Amino acid sequence: MLDYILMIIIVVSAILALIQKDLLKAAILTGFSGGALAVLFQIMLAPDVALTQAIVGAAIVPVFIALAVKKTQRGDA
Amino acid sequence: MAHTQLAVLFTSVALIVIGLYAAIFVDNIIKKIIGISFIEEGANLFIVGIGYKPGGIVPILMPGMNSTWFASNASYPLPYGLVLTSIVIGASTLAVMLALVMVLYRRYGTLSTSVMLADTSHQEEYDE
Amino acid sequence: MNELIPLMVIVPMMAALLISAFSKFDKVIKVFAFVVALCLPIIPLLSNYGVHYFGGYAPIVDNITNILYHPAITYSFNFPQQIFIGMVGILTFLVVFIYLTKYTKVSGPYLFLLFMGTAAVTALILTDDIFHMFVFFEILALAQVGIVAASSIDYSYEMALKYMILGSIGSPIMLLGIGFLLAMTGTVNITDIVAIIRDGIISTSSPMFFLSLALIFFGWLYASGLPPFHTIKSGIYSKAEPHGAALLQSFTVISMISIVIIMFRIYSVLPIFEVLIVLFSVLAMILGVSLALTQTDFRRMIGFLAVGELGFIGLGIGLGTQYAITAGLFQALNEIVITALLFIGFGAIVNATNEVDTRKLGGLLASHPKVGIMLLIGGLAMAGVPPLSGFQSKLMLVQASLSCGYPELSILTIMVSIATFVVFVKTFYSMFLRPKPHDLEVVDKDVPRAMIFAMVVLLIIIVALGIFPDVVTNGISNFVGGMLH
Repeated sequence: MLDYILMIIIVVSAILALIQKDLLKAAILTGFSGGALAVLFQIMLAPDVALTQAIVGAAIVPVFIALAVKKTQRGDA
Repeated sequence: MAHTQLAVLFTSVALIVIGLYAAIFVDNIIKKIIGISFIEEGANLFIVGIGYKPGGIVPILMPGMNSTWFASNASYPLPYGLVLTSIVIGASTLAVMLALVMVLYRRYGTLSTSVMLADTSHQEEYDE
Repeated sequence: MNELIPLMVIVPMMAALLISAFSKFDKVIKVFAFVVALCLPIIPLLSNYGVHYFGGYAPIVDNITNILYHPAITYSFNFPQQIFIGMVGILTFLVVFIYLTKYTKVSGPYLFLLFMGTAAVTALILTDDIFHMFVFFEILALAQVGIVAASSIDYSYEMALKYMILGSIGSPIMLLGIGFLLAMTGTVNITDIVAIIRDGIISTSSPMFFLSLALIFFGWLYASGLPPFHTIKSGIYSKAEPHGAALLQSFTVISMISIVIIMFRIYSVLPIFEVLIVLFSVLAMILGVSLALTQTDFRRMIGFLAVGELGFIGLGIGLGTQYAITAGLFQALNEIVITALLFIGFGAIVNATNEVDTRKLGGLLASHPKVGIMLLIGGLAMAGVPPLSGFQSKLMLVQASLSCGYPELSILTIMVSIATFVVFVKTFYSMFLRPKPHDLEVVDKDVPRAMIFAMVVLLIIIVALGIFPDVVTNGISNFVGGMLH
C-alpha cells in the first residue's frame, strides 16, 4: 500500500513543482518528489540506491536549485 | 505481485512525460531544468523496476544464507549498480546547467528561454 | 603488453585530474601537460591487441546452457581502435601544444576538459559494455559543453546551455533504451547480448526490442549531430576556440562510429536498422552541404560541412557489407584529420584578422600564403580530389553503394562531393583570392608557429593516407570481417 501512496506523492509533487509561480516552492517540491522516490527505492529492495537518491534527490538537487534561484530571481516570469 | 511492477512502470512513464513536457514547452529555464531532472528520475525508476523482484529479498549475501536460496530469491543487483552511477551523473549535469544559467542571468536579467536562448545565428547576420 | 589497454583511458584522466588540482603551478603544469599529450599517441602504438577485463574477472562458462558470460567491464583493443585512438592522441597533442604556446598563463580547468574529453572518447571506442558507453557518453557531453563555454567568442554560453539541455534530454532517453535491452537480456555486455540474440533466446521481432533501438538511436543522433541536431552541432563548433573545435569534431566522429558499431552489432538483425541509418545519413549529407552554402561565417560553414561529411560515414555503415563498413570507417578517419586541419587553418585566419564574415575578407593569400595553400589542400581533400585521402574513402563509398545495388546513392554521394567542392572553393575565393577590401585590417601578426606545425603534421597524414590507403583499409577490413561473422 505504501508504495502506491509514494508513487502518487512522486507524480503529484512533480506536477505541483512545475505549476508553482514561486521557484523556491518549486525547488522544495522537487525535493519532496526526490525524497519519496528514495523511500520507494528502499521498498523496491535497493537500499544502496535509496541512500544515494535520498542524499542527491532530497538534499543536493533542491539545494542547488534554491541556490540558483537565490542568485537569480524568485518569480516565474 | 506484478501489480507493483506495473505501477512502477506507469510512475516512471508519468515522470518522463511530465519532464519532457516541461523541458520542451515551459518557458522558464529553471523549470526546464527541474523537468530534465524528472526525466532522469523516471529513467532511474524504470531501471530499478527491472531489477526489482516482488516478494524477494535485498541482494546482499548475509552470512548463513544458502547461496542457491539466495540466488532464487534476491532481486537482480546489476541495474541497482547502474542506477547509482546514473543518479550521480544526473546531479552533476544539473549543477553545470544551473551554473550556466546563473552566468547568463547576469547578462540578460531574465530567466525566460525565449529571450536567453533566442536563435542568434540570424541575428548576427542582420545587425551588421 | 595488454596492461597498456586500460592505461589509454587512465593516463589522460589522471592527467586531467592532476592538472586541475595543481593548476597553481604554471610551469610544472605546462611541462606535465606536454609530456602527457606526447604519451597519448604512443601508448596505443606500443600496446598489443587483445581484451582487458577490469578486476581480472575472466569470462565464465555457464555449465547448464553452455553460454559464455562476461562479468567484468571489458575493453577490446583491435586495429581500428588502435588507429582511431592513435589519431585522437595525435590531435590532442597538437591541440594541447597550440594551446600551451598561445598563452603564457594556462588555465588548468581548460586542459582538464581537453584531457577528459580524450579519455572519454577513448573509453567509448574501447568499451564492450553498453552502460559503460553511456557513462562516458555523458562525461563526453559535459567535456564538450565545458570546451564551448570556456571560449571567449560571443554567445558561447548560450550555445553551451542549449547543447546541454538537448543533451540532458537525449541521454536519459538513451539510458531508457539501455534499460529495455537490460530488461530483455539481463546483461549489459555487448558480446553477451549479441550471443543471446544469435541464439534466439529473445524475440527480435518484439516491440520492446524495436523500442530500445529507437531510444538508443535517438541518443546516437544527438551524439553525432545528425539531423535534427545538425544546427546545434555546427553551432558548438563555431562557438568554440578553433583548436577546441578541431578536437570537438574528432570527439563527435569517434562517438558516432563507436556507438553505431555497437548498435550495428546488436540490431543488424532488424532490416529497418540499416534503412534508418541510411535515411538519416542522406538527410545529413544534403542538409549539411546546402546549409553550408548559405553561411557567411566561415566557422559555421566548416561546421555544416563537417556534419555533411558525417553522413558519408553513416552511409557506409548503413549499407552493411564488409567493403561498405570499411569505407565508412576509413572516411571517419579521414574526416577527423581533414576537418581538424580546416578548423585550425581558419582559426589562424581569425587570429590574424579578427573577422569571420567571408563577405568582408579578401586578398589574404598575399599575407598568409602558407596557411592559404595548406587550407586549399585540406579543402580539396574534403571534397574528394585525387590523390588525397578523402578521394580514396569516397571512391570506396561510391563503389560500395554501386555493388550493393544502389546507384542512386552513389550518384548522390558524387553530387554532394561536388557541392562540397563548390562551397569550399567559393569560400576560399572570397577569403584568399579576390582583391582585398579597403576596410579590412589585417593585424600584422604572424600565424603562431604551433598552428603551422600542427597543419603540416595533419597535411602529411592526409597525403600519406591518400597514397597508401591499404595500410589502414586492410586492417579495418579484417576487423569488419570478424565483426560480421
